[in-house]
Amino acid sequence: MAQEFLILNMIIWTGLYLIVALSLNIEYGFGGIPNFGRALAVLMGAIAVGGIVNRILMVILGVSGQIIDASGVVKTTLNDIIVQNPAVGIGLMIFCLLMAAVLGAITGAIFILPSAKLSEDYLAITLLAISEVMFMVSYYHPDIIGGYYGVTFPNVLNFIPGEQRLMVFAGVIIFIAILVYFLVNRMLASPYGRLLKAMRENEDVVEAYGKDIMMLRIKTVAVGSGIAALAGALYSMFSVNVIATNFSRVEWTFYPILMILLGGLGNTRGVLVGVTSFVVARILLITYKFEIVETLGLPFDPVWLEYILFGFVMLVILVYRPEGIIKEKPVMTEPIKEVLKKRKIKSRSSTE
Amino acid sequence: MSVLEGAIIYSNLLVLLAVGLTMTYITTAVPNFAQGSFAVFGSYIALTLLRLYDIHPYHSIPIAFVLGGLLGVAIYVGVLRPLIARGAEVVILMIATLAVDLILLGLIGSYSDYLGVITKKSAKKFILTPYDFSIAGTSGIFFVSILTIAVILLGLYLLLFKTKFGVAMRASMENPSLAEIMGVNVETTRLASWVLSGALAAVAGVLLPFRQEIVPMTGGIIIVSIFASSIVGGLGSIFGALLGGYIVGMSESFVTFYLSKVLGPGMLVYSRVVSLIVLIITLIFAPRGITSVKWRRIKWLRNFLS
Repeated sequence: MAQEFLILNMIIWTGLYLIVALSLNIEYGFGGIPNFGRALAVLMGAIAVGGIVNRILMVILGVSGQIIDASGVVKTTLNDIIVQNPAVGIGLMIFCLLMAAVLGAITGAIFILPSAKLSEDYLAITLLAISEVMFMVSYYHPDIIGGYYGVTFPNVLNFIPGEQRLMVFAGVIIFIAILVYFLVNRMLASPYGRLLKAMRENEDVVEAYGKDIMMLRIKTVAVGSGIAALAGALYSMFSVNVIATNFSRVEWTFYPILMILLGGLGNTRGVLVGVTSFVVARILLITYKFEIVETLGLPFDPVWLEYILFGFVMLVILVYRPEGIIKEKPVMTEPIKEVLKKRKIKSRSSTE
Repeated sequence: MSVLEGAIIYSNLLVLLAVGLTMTYITTAVPNFAQGSFAVFGSYIALTLLRLYDIHPYHSIPIAFVLGGLLGVAIYVGVLRPLIARGAEVVILMIATLAVDLILLGLIGSYSDYLGVITKKSAKKFILTPYDFSIAGTSGIFFVSILTIAVILLGLYLLLFKTKFGVAMRASMENPSLAEIMGVNVETTRLASWVLSGALAAVAGVLLPFRQEIVPMTGGIIIVSIFASSIVGGLGSIFGALLGGYIVGMSESFVTFYLSKVLGPGMLVYSRVVSLIVLIITLIFAPRGITSVKWRRIKWLRNFLS
């Protein structure tokens, strides 16, 4: 049972982090936009579920009062409905994901506006500051997602018996992650992906070819944030309660950056490798933390060990292997492949 | 503690942190995200000396200054110099300082647990106000922070403007390649800026627990205010950091105070929102900070319009 739980946990976290890391790879890996505020989009996904969908449900079910207490009432009422009628649960899940994507995209589009005037380093600082402040506001202010008490949310898979629920949830999360993976892969292989890479390398050239850089940035961050918000929504539905402390800068900005740098910037296969190796290491560390602390005889809480370790891993990657595990390769489009084939034939015939 | 008194103390500490941040930005072009944790490092030095050796926190300022300087050097030599030597971009350097911040958080956190174990008194959360003295109803930290900032600013002034080393340092801040051609060792000035930055942050860290509660996470929380101070003043100017520290410190204290009077005490937690708003307003109207604004030109514009 413990082993099974461990594997399911790994699948769930791989799915969630894959979604976030892919979104960051679009923005930073391809577009070169230093988004140090990724956690904001994930938090927005959670707000869409815990703050907005919860309120819509309150209106539909006619529950009044403060969101913290009312969400408990909504949860019990809706849990009973979902047991009776699975369609409600599935519908609710899809609605939550849509809401999260829309809210995430809108926030992303607004969030990147300062980039019109700022250079890279100023932009990164500003994005980090905005994200950090939103995090604090949603933690302190009880009317958004319940502040430090948090809010609860109905279990959208309540119609599935208890033992199997976790497994189905893992299945749903990894399915959505794979879907996102293929969509992102497709999108980045299109001319849009190459345009992003061009923007990363030289903005002036892209501008000279008649592309609006600002529009491109807004679109990119909107798409990226919309995708990242999905992870926030899935995580909230999975843990059936929403609390701001779950969306810290370390977990949703720093770790995703670590994963894409580990796997290799600017390629989706690298992201997959980076995410899986990170998640396996982290889950093992979390699961066996007490054993680790006992065998090493450490006089402190093992959570600190995680910070030291992953911070250190990041520095090692930056210094010794900045290109990551898998190096970025040029996009192989059909015309390029054809040209290469022709050249190969030509070079072969010339050598013969 | 009156609002004005608290605001001045807080601004003084912000200035110490922002001056250090600006200095390392000018010499190495890296915005240091670990500056907040540098301060918390200083706070824990003060706590350790107090609990283990019974040294009053005010007397631990020189020790914190030295240890903070060593931390600054260690970060620069151990992490940033190898990266700069490889020609890493600014964003990569920033990610590296984020990683340093996380490592420091982990180290400080585990140390706080350890200190709690050996002194049998929790060190996860502490405040030093009970150890403060007071003169005529005004808290000691008010005088100490003013004295500290006066001494440090005077020292910086003498170092930068009255010594040969200071001239070399200013030259390499303004134009590193030209300074290098003239025989200035840019490497030394970078090293010096990290020593000073770490030392000033640690001193600010010793004084900070006299005003607010410290937890290992404090560094990650105050970093928004530190960056706001540096950017409002202009990341390229040390004088700007001085100005920015007071602007951000004062506006955080006073705006939240008056908002809480109007809208209730719940507003007191939103001081960081104020610094973010100040930061954004500055970025919109003067992206390079207040010191970069050409005031004469604006006056001329006003005359022209009227």
